[in-house]
Amino acid sequence: TLSKKMKDDKMSNLVEEYFEAHSSSKVLTSDRTLQKLHKRRLNQETLRDLLKKAPLAFAPEIKELNQQHECLFSKWMLQLHLGFNIVLYGLGSKRDLLEKFRTSVLQDSVHLVVNGYFPSITVRSILNSITEEVLEHIGTFRSPLDQLEFIMKRFKEDSSLELYVLIHNLDSQMLRGERSQQILAQLSSLPSIYLIASVDHINAPLMWDQAKQSLYNWLWYETTTFSPYVEETSYENSLLVQQSGSLALSSLTHVLRSLTPNARGIFRLLAQYQLENKDNPSYPGLSFQDFYQQCREAFLVNSDLTLRAQLTEFRDHKLIRTKRGADGVEYLLIPVDDSTLTDFLEKEDEDV
Amino acid sequence: QQVQEELNKQLFDNLVSFLRRSHSEFQEKTTEWSCRMKSREIPTAALVLGVNVTDHDLTFKSLSEVLQNNITPYVALLQAKDCPGIKNLMQKLMGQLMNCCVDVDSSDEEDYVQVSQHRIRCSMTSLISWYENITKKTDSETPSKKRTSRHLQSPPVVVIFKDMESFTTKVLQDFIVISSQHIHELPLILIFGIATSPMIIHSLLPHSVSSLLCIELFQSLSCKEHLSTIIDKLLLTTQFAFKLSEKVLQVLINIFLYHDFSVQNFIKGFQLCIVEHFHSQPLSVLCCQLVEAKKRVNSLSHSQCENIRRLPSFRSQVSEKQIALLTTDNFLKEVIQKLLEDLHVYHENYVPVLRCLHVFTSSLPKYPLGKQIRELHCACLENRVWETEEYESSLQLARMLNKSDLVTMLQKCVEIFVSSSGKEFDKVVEKLKEFLAQFQKLEGACQERGESISSQKELQKKTDLYHLQKTLLELKESRRSKKLTKFEMLRFEVVDFIDNLVRNYLVPADHKTLHEIMYFNTASALREHLNAAPRIALHTALNNPYCYLKNQALRSDGGYISNKAPDICIVYKLHLECGRLINLVDWLEAFSTVVMAVEGTNEDAAASDQVDDTIHARFIQAVSELELLGFIKPSKQKTDHVARLTWGGC
Repeated sequence: TLSKKMKDDKMSNLVEEYFEAHSSSKVLTSDRTLQKLHKRRLNQETLRDLLKKAPLAFAPEIKELNQQHECLFSKWMLQLHLGFNIVLYGLGSKRDLLEKFRTSVLQDSVHLVVNGYFPSITVRSILNSITEEVLEHIGTFRSPLDQLEFIMKRFKEDSSLELYVLIHNLDSQMLRGERSQQILAQLSSLPSIYLIASVDHINAPLMWDQAKQSLYNWLWYETTTFSPYVEETSYENSLLVQQSGSLALSSLTHVLRSLTPNARGIFRLLAQYQLENKDNPSYPGLSFQDFYQQCREAFLVNSDLTLRAQLTEFRDHKLIRTKRGADGVEYLLIPVDDSTLTDFLEKEDEDV
Repeated sequence: QQVQEELNKQLFDNLVSFLRRSHSEFQEKTTEWSCRMKSREIPTAALVLGVNVTDHDLTFKSLSEVLQNNITPYVALLQAKDCPGIKNLMQKLMGQLMNCCVDVDSSDEEDYVQVSQHRIRCSMTSLISWYENITKKTDSETPSKKRTSRHLQSPPVVVIFKDMESFTTKVLQDFIVISSQHIHELPLILIFGIATSPMIIHSLLPHSVSSLLCIELFQSLSCKEHLSTIIDKLLLTTQFAFKLSEKVLQVLINIFLYHDFSVQNFIKGFQLCIVEHFHSQPLSVLCCQLVEAKKRVNSLSHSQCENIRRLPSFRSQVSEKQIALLTTDNFLKEVIQKLLEDLHVYHENYVPVLRCLHVFTSSLPKYPLGKQIRELHCACLENRVWETEEYESSLQLARMLNKSDLVTMLQKCVEIFVSSSGKEFDKVVEKLKEFLAQFQKLEGACQERGESISSQKELQKKTDLYHLQKTLLELKESRRSKKLTKFEMLRFEVVDFIDNLVRNYLVPADHKTLHEIMYFNTASALREHLNAAPRIALHTALNNPYCYLKNQALRSDGGYISNKAPDICIVYKLHLECGRLINLVDWLEAFSTVVMAVEGTNEDAAASDQVDDTIHARFIQAVSELELLGFIKPSKQKTDHVARLTWGGC
């Protein structure tokens, strides 16, 4: 009973730890930000170049691991033909492994590769490529369900049709939805469609309930490769790369270049005002009346109407956002983060 | 491979037929009932099927077949995923009913054309005209039904809802209300498949709707019973040469009992066992019926013979005639044939003796050896069963059984032995019958016992003190020695006999020579492929990369991680030390400190800017990998912070 007691203690400790971690809304971290680090932000290309230069650690060991996995290829084929579907899990990108499987084993057979990590992939496009390219059917379907039904019918009728489907990252943002998983599961339950997929997310198995799991008929294989997720993360909008920031900046300058000097001045005024108030968390934005007043004083507009027209143009380009405050007054905000705005102003100053 | 497919097929046929049979009774009840029903309300059958959703498909399929054959040609199966709205539901229903019609009277060419037209039109209807169409649809359905029903006497239309729980309430309610309007023109019967409890009907449907239904409840067999019958059919027969070892069976049963209650998954696991066995074990070619196996033994190649010689169970056996066995293939083949025969006989004897023992142990209080035969089977496979404590206690309990129980048990045993095919049991049966006869004699013997008691009483005549003492002593002694009546003696004899049987026939398979051919015992493979734990794999890979990358530099003793590990491991380790939110700057700095410690040794400070950028890039890569894996996510709570999605660690 001593061990049991110990276990109990440990359990209760764990539980307490959990609640301790989640109880206080206050978080103890330092307030340092990347802004203060005085380091230029890397964009996607320089990142890729830098990474290419960096040597891959433990290359021989990783190669050995891969060779181990490659021994399983023939077994996979056998099991696929026996009605199982294969799912690969483990740390490291499984893209190269699947690619190798494809080139070495599936060369002569009809196969479909789905890049799940691709941000604009949908189930519909998967189904489309099956109907259009495998079944050579021209025509549209009203809903994916109809399309699925058609595919299932065709595959059941014609037993000579065989299709290997390789899905990289079955658990990606686009495919993890309930409906897409349902459709894929039904597809994979067809005896002449062989599915081999990889998952990476730690909570990937939560996608499937019992019914789907039995449709998928998974066999799990651990394939830890330790190879970096280069392709997969290139679409992940990382916090440090800040794609959106650089994009916003370039688009900002682009749009403003095409405007009249007065319009540029209006935007500058708003940006400056916003930067002055950036440390005030309750700053609601600049009210229209105040803004109008300031613009008049700077001789930028001559009437209420021209300012409104100008603001509408900004809004169309998503350069400003209006918000109605508690008192019913319209407040104007630039929905771009402060650092980008600072950069923008600096650049403007240089130009002038 | 061919053998495999053969085996698979055989297995599946057997299972399907069995499942059919187990359901047939239940189905008959339902069909009978649906014949009978005719009233104003919609008759509804609620089938309580249990949580193993995956097994229900077969049930419904056979149910609809039975219904179609016996009662009505109009059976529609609806699934929740096909019916997000009432429109889809009606379409699906129509389509299925029309198809049913076509199936039944396919002679009508014209009918078919019309039907297909209907389908196209109803699929083309836009959402706006839905309201008009719903009447049209039901109308068009009704005449079509009536048209075909001229010769049949208005058969009912059965609609089966496969998964009641996952239907949206609104759709279900609407459908019930709509169909209740048409109930006099269109005799409709609903069947709900319920996974949880019948309470769900009342929680899904409000009173106004459920009052339109006339519900009767049906209970299906529990999945545990299914399992025990399947084990009975698959494992406790001599029909299949392929067997499972104790550990594998335990894994399969555990998955069943603790995870999903799904018979389908159990079968899948069994299938996987077969595949693995025939794939990995080179001697599995011999795993087939005896006659076939003998043929195959003769055609074994030299390398296969070598394989046999290498088997652990074979090597422990080889002691005499060692040289001949290890060198001459032909002699080896002869020996193998004999050994295979032994194994076969062992299987034949094993099952009836096991059943027999089960008859005894299953009636004991507290079930020391388990209630189900599968538990007993596991115990027998695991070890010598007579050496266990449980067996000891159950024998003790068996020695205290009363007579009527004992007799019925013995009768059962006789039946088992008679029906079994083993040849050696003639003697056993004889012996058991003898026991039975003796018990019948005992009935008479009871009176004798009474006499003997009276004779004892005679002794208690009045005598002097000395005599009295003497007789009392004698009595005491006699009581001690005569404690065992004839019945008790016999009882002991029976129990001992059973004990002997067990010792002779229930030797665990591991102790048999050449058991590797028939028994599949890599439980770890099974667990890995069926019941995988991706999070554990990720955790060990991140925490202790040495498990995978066999580099001495990565070797560490648990707690800390070497700074030469892959980037992602270092980043992960650092992130474990944080709380709920992580400051990216601090994280980056900690990472670069760790990495610089390695790199600083061979690079001077001149190139530090370049190095810095590289480290930054590597950090970005590692962090976005962690994000992809789901350990962290960007947080809006504070600038340049990420939120941890896991907890604990260090």
